Amino acid sequence: MNEIGEFALLLALATALYGVVSYVMAFRSNRVDVFLSADKTPIIVWACVMVSSIVLWRAFMINDFSLQYVASYSNIDLDPFYKFSSFWGGQKGSLLFWTLILTTYMMVVHIQNRKQNIRLVPIALAVMMVIAVFFLVLLNFSTNPFEVIPLPPEDGRGLNPLLQNYWMVIHPPTLYLGYVGFTVPFAFATAALLTKNLDDGWIRLTRKWTLVSWFFLCMGNLFGAQWAYIELGWGGYWAWDPVENAAFMPLIVATAYLHSVMIQEKKDMMKVWNMSLILLTFVMTIFGTFITRSGLIQSVHTFDEATLGYYFLAFLGVIIAFAVTMILIRLPLLKSKNELDSFLSREASFLLNNLVLLGIAFSTFWGTIFPIVSEAFRGVKITVGPPFYNQVNVPIGMVLLALIGIGPVIAWRKASWSNLKKNFTKPVSVAAVGGAIMFPFVPLTDKSEIFTYITFILCIFVMTSMLIEFMKGTGARMQAHGESPVSALSGLVWKNKSRYGGYIVHLGVVLLFAGIAGSQSYSDDVEKNLSVGERFHLRGYDFIYEKLLVKEENSTKTRVIAQLGIERDGQRVWTGMPEKEFYKGQKQPVSEVDLISTLKEDVYMILADFNPDNSSATLKVYVKPMVKWMWLGGWVIAFGTMICVWPDRLEARRRVERLKRQEAIFMPAQE
Amino acid sequence: MTGANFLQLILVVLILMAVGIPLFSKLPPKRLFKPLDPDEEEYKHLLVRKEEVLLAIKELEFDFKTDKISKPDFEALHHKLEQEAMAFLEKIDDLEKQLKKRNKTSGAA
Repeated sequence: MNEIGEFALLLALATALYGVVSYVMAFRSNRVDVFLSADKTPIIVWACVMVSSIVLWRAFMINDFSLQYVASYSNIDLDPFYKFSSFWGGQKGSLLFWTLILTTYMMVVHIQNRKQNIRLVPIALAVMMVIAVFFLVLLNFSTNPFEVIPLPPEDGRGLNPLLQNYWMVIHPPTLYLGYVGFTVPFAFATAALLTKNLDDGWIRLTRKWTLVSWFFLCMGNLFGAQWAYIELGWGGYWAWDPVENAAFMPLIVATAYLHSVMIQEKKDMMKVWNMSLILLTFVMTIFGTFITRSGLIQSVHTFDEATLGYYFLAFLGVIIAFAVTMILIRLPLLKSKNELDSFLSREASFLLNNLVLLGIAFSTFWGTIFPIVSEAFRGVKITVGPPFYNQVNVPIGMVLLALIGIGPVIAWRKASWSNLKKNFTKPVSVAAVGGAIMFPFVPLTDKSEIFTYITFILCIFVMTSMLIEFMKGTGARMQAHGESPVSALSGLVWKNKSRYGGYIVHLGVVLLFAGIAGSQSYSDDVEKNLSVGERFHLRGYDFIYEKLLVKEENSTKTRVIAQLGIERDGQRVWTGMPEKEFYKGQKQPVSEVDLISTLKEDVYMILADFNPDNSSATLKVYVKPMVKWMWLGGWVIAFGTMICVWPDRLEARRRVERLKRQEAIFMPAQE
Repeated sequence: MTGANFLQLILVVLILMAVGIPLFSKLPPKRLFKPLDPDEEEYKHLLVRKEEVLLAIKELEFDFKTDKISKPDFEALHHKLEQEAMAFLEKIDDLEKQLKKRNKTSGAA
C-alpha cells in the first residue's frame, strides 16, 4: 500500500508539470482542446495527493513502523486522535499536508471558475501548479514521507508529548489553511501581471479567498497562542519566537492589504501598492515555512530535521525576483490617474493604517532575522527577545488601536474638521470618563502599566465609536424605513455586510488588545516549595497543597499530579490538579497545567518540581487578568468575518447585470 | 507483476486517458478566448467604475444621514460624484453606440 502512496506523489508531480505546460500552452495558443486537457490536471493532482495522504494516515492508524516517518512520530499506545494529527507532526508529513491543502484549493478554484470565461484563470492555475510542483519536488526527492526502514522497530518513538494536545490537532491545520490560502490571490495577482489584465478584476475574484485566508491565519495564531498557554507551562501565550513571528507577519501584511484594496475598488488607485502587498503577503508565508524548516533559527516550533532551508531560500529568491521584475515591467499600466480627494478622509486613515501595519511587520521581520544578520556580519548569533518587540511594537500597536476607532468616524473621500470634532466628542468624552474612573484602581508604577492604562482608554474610545456607528446607522434606517430597532440593526448589518462585518471584526480586535494589555501588565505569580498540608495566599485565593498522586496511565505514560485545594473567602472553589507527565523514551517530562478561567482572571497552576520521597512539591501559580478576553475576541473576529464573507446577493446581481449588458455587445462576454 | 504494480499501471493509464482524450477527440475548432478587444476592456472598466460611483453616492448619503459629513461638503461631493457618474454613463452610451455600429458593419460585411 505504501508503494501506492509514494507512486501517487510521483504521478502528482508529473501531472502538475504537465498542468503548468498545458495551461500556459492553452493560453498562448488559444486552443480549447489543450485547455480541456489542462483542465483535468487540478483534479488529478488533488486526487493523487489525497491518495498519498490517505495511505500515510492509514500507516499511522495501523502502526506501520516500516515507514521511517511513522516510526518517528507515533507509537502503539498513542491515542488515535493524536495518530491522526501525527500526520503533520513532523516535517515530511507537514509538507504533504501543505500540498494537500494547496491542491484542494487549486481544485476549488478550478471548480469555481470552470463555467466562467475568465482570461486570468488558466494562468492563475498554472501559477498554483508551479507552487505545487515545488512542494511535490521536495516530497518526491528530498523529504519523502514514504521512506522505508529496512528493519522496522516493534514500536515507534512516539509523538512529541508537547504536541499531544487538542489545540495541536486544530492549530496547524487552521494556520496552514491561512498560509496556503494566500496562494490564490497571489496566483491571480501574478496572472493579472502576466496577462496585463490589471484592472481590479483579480481583486474582486479573490476578495473572499483573501478574507477567508486572513481569518484562518488569525485563528491559527490565536489557537497557537492557546496551545502555548496550556501546554508549554510558562504562564504566557506569546513569546515573539521566530516561528510565531513567521505566522504573525503575513497576517499583518494581509491586514494592510485588506484595507488598502478597498481604496482600489472604490477609487481605482493604489494598484502598485496593492499588488506589492499581496505579493509580499505570499512571500511572508513562504518565509514562514523557510524559518520553520531551515534550521537557521532556533525555536520550540521548528522541526527536528529542519534541512530544507536552501530549497526554500532559492524558491523565495525566485518569487521575489519575479514579483519585483513583473511589477517594474508593468509599472506604466499600474499607474493610476486618480488621487485622494482629501487627506482628511477615510482613505487617508487607511493609508496611515497601512504604514503602521507595515511598521509592525518590518520591526518583527528585523527582530526575526537579526540572529542571522548578526552572525553573518559579526560572527556572533545575537537573539532579539521580547523586550525589543514590546518596545517597538507596543507603541505602534497603540497607534493602530486608535486608528481602528478613528477610521469609521471619518467619511469616505472628504471630511471636515467641524464634523470630526462633532463625531469625536462623544467617544473621546466616554474614554476620558472611563480613564478617570479607572485611574484610582489601576497601578501606574512602570512604563508597561502606563501603556496598559492608555490601551484601556483607547479600547473604550474604539468601543464607543463603534457602538455610536451602529446606533447612528440603526437610527438612520429606522427613520428611512420605519423599522423597529432590532430589524433596523439586522438590516443595517445584512445590507452592508463588508462594512459592519468589518466593524464586528474590529470589536474582536479591541477585546484582543484589552486581553493582551491586562494579562501582560497586571499578572501576579508565586513559586513555593510545599509539604502536604501547607498553604499560601495569592490575590484573594488560598492554595492548600493536599497530596501527590502517581498514576501509571499506560506502558509509556506516567502522570504525577499535585492536588491543590483552592479557597476564596473561606469557601472551597476548585480542586487544582497540575501535573507532570513522563513519557517512555522522552528525556524531559511535560507539564500539564491546571486552570480556572473566568472573564475577570485566570488562575494558572504549574507543578514545577516534586520529591516522591517526602511528597513535597514546588508549585508555581499565576493570577492573570483578562486572558479570556483574547479568546473571546477571537470568536468575535470569527463572527465578523463570517458576516463579511457571507454571499452578497446584491453584488452577485450587479455582476450578472454587468455581464448581460456586456454580452449584448460582445458575444460571448469575457471577464 | 505484483498487485501494487498493476494498480500503478492502471493509475497511469487512467491519467493518460483523462488528459489525452480532449487532445485527440474531434472537437470543433474553437478558440479558448476571443482576441483581447481594447474596446471591450474599456467597456468593462466603465461599467465597473460607474457602479462604484453610484455606490459611493449611496455611501455619501448614508454618511450625511449619520452626521459624518457637513452639508457644504456633502453637496459639493454629491455634485462631483453625480458628474462623475454622468460622465461614465455618457462614455458608456457613446461606446455602446459606436460598438453597435461596428457590429452592424462587420455583420453586413
